[in-house]
Amino acid sequence: MKKQLIELRVNGESFELAVEPQKTLLEVVREDLGLTGAKEACGTGECGACTVLIDGKPILSCLTLAIEAQGKKITTIEGLAKNGDLHPLQKAFIRYGAIQCGYCTSGMILNAKSILDENPKPSRDEILKGLEGNLCRCTGYNKILEAVMAASTGED
Amino acid sequence: MRIPRFEYFRPSSIDEVCSLLYKYKGEAKVLAGGTDLFVKMKKKEILPKVVISLKGIQTLDRIEWDDREDLKIGPLVTHDAIVNHPFVREKFDFLSEACFKIGTRQVRNMGTLVGNLCNASPSSDASAPLLVLETKLKLVHLYGERTIPLQEFFIGPFQTVLDPQEIVVEVQIPKPAPHTAGSYQYLHKASSVGETLVGAAALLTIDPRNSTCQEATIGLSSVSPIPIRAKAAERILKGKKLEEKIIREAAQVAMDETQPRSRPLYRREMTRVLVERAILRAMEKIR
Repeated sequence: MKKQLIELRVNGESFELAVEPQKTLLEVVREDLGLTGAKEACGTGECGACTVLIDGKPILSCLTLAIEAQGKKITTIEGLAKNGDLHPLQKAFIRYGAIQCGYCTSGMILNAKSILDENPKPSRDEILKGLEGNLCRCTGYNKILEAVMAASTGED
Repeated sequence: MRIPRFEYFRPSSIDEVCSLLYKYKGEAKVLAGGTDLFVKMKKKEILPKVVISLKGIQTLDRIEWDDREDLKIGPLVTHDAIVNHPFVREKFDFLSEACFKIGTRQVRNMGTLVGNLCNASPSSDASAPLLVLETKLKLVHLYGERTIPLQEFFIGPFQTVLDPQEIVVEVQIPKPAPHTAGSYQYLHKASSVGETLVGAAALLTIDPRNSTCQEATIGLSSVSPIPIRAKAAERILKGKKLEEKIIREAAQVAMDETQPRSRPLYRREMTRVLVERAILRAMEKIR
């Protein structure tokens, strides 16, 4: 199929690209923009490893067409650190050992960010329900939960 | 996993969508949220030549309501929008709760109510509440339109009456009568997407003067090839004072109206339990 010229706004920067319509946002950010933080795991929307934020809301980039992400504010994990200073959630994940293999981490942190942006003081259950779409096969989730709770209390 | 190639259209009106559907007939698929469509395409269960995105039609992303009319939900409205809509939360709380059960946070931000109905999964969570609310769907094609009750929309697992040239443009939910409340109760698998094993919704109207049940509707999902109304159970409740014995009897009858394809013993028994819970919860809300 014919490529279409599109413009994507990722982490505050604009990119002009030619893409085929069936290309997913995940393929484009990884392969065309070199932002490899978002991961492909299941490819069918169950695991959350491909989570990115569109206009602040977590979505599955493996089931989103890149051409349909035009005109929206896309945030990947690479966009969280400011001037080399990690986001409080990233720091908390490191401090609490909430990262093991790291494959789920970018999606987990982005989804957690959207949860805290919506509700800065979520309960333990609200965090668990919010993160239900992000699977982690290493940590057993407890450390992730602790890290998100710590970030929500402003621990830095 | 890659999505197989297709030709992409992004029309700016429903007329244009209908013309494209007419032109490409069964070779085209309509795209709203993509959470079902692209999974099926990646697994090569369906391979449409053409994908018609609705995203260019802003008016389809609308929840319309006022105090006199039906609640109207367009085909681009996501589960998340329904969960967070103040009017829906207030007047249709159990529908909003059912939509909160669907998928995951990410799926609710992408997937749409209409897409979920068109996918016609027997375990669709929104179906039971929508059935008890006597929801109708407005279907449009190039040469006309029809409005049908949701009950007639489903014809089998993952099958609907929707013609390949038709599109669902609106979900219409009548405003409930005074002294009416509903409840949705469910049990689900402990998996990543927690598919519902049994879903039961009840909507009751109770006369405040003599506390008899004026109207009762019961909807069930995941316990039959399609989401169903338990009409025999509804008849038991209508016109009666809702005492324990009557509620038990209705729940028992609802159980016998199910036709579970798998785990039948569990699903039948849990239907009985959940119908009873849904009735009791709806009664509490009316009080």
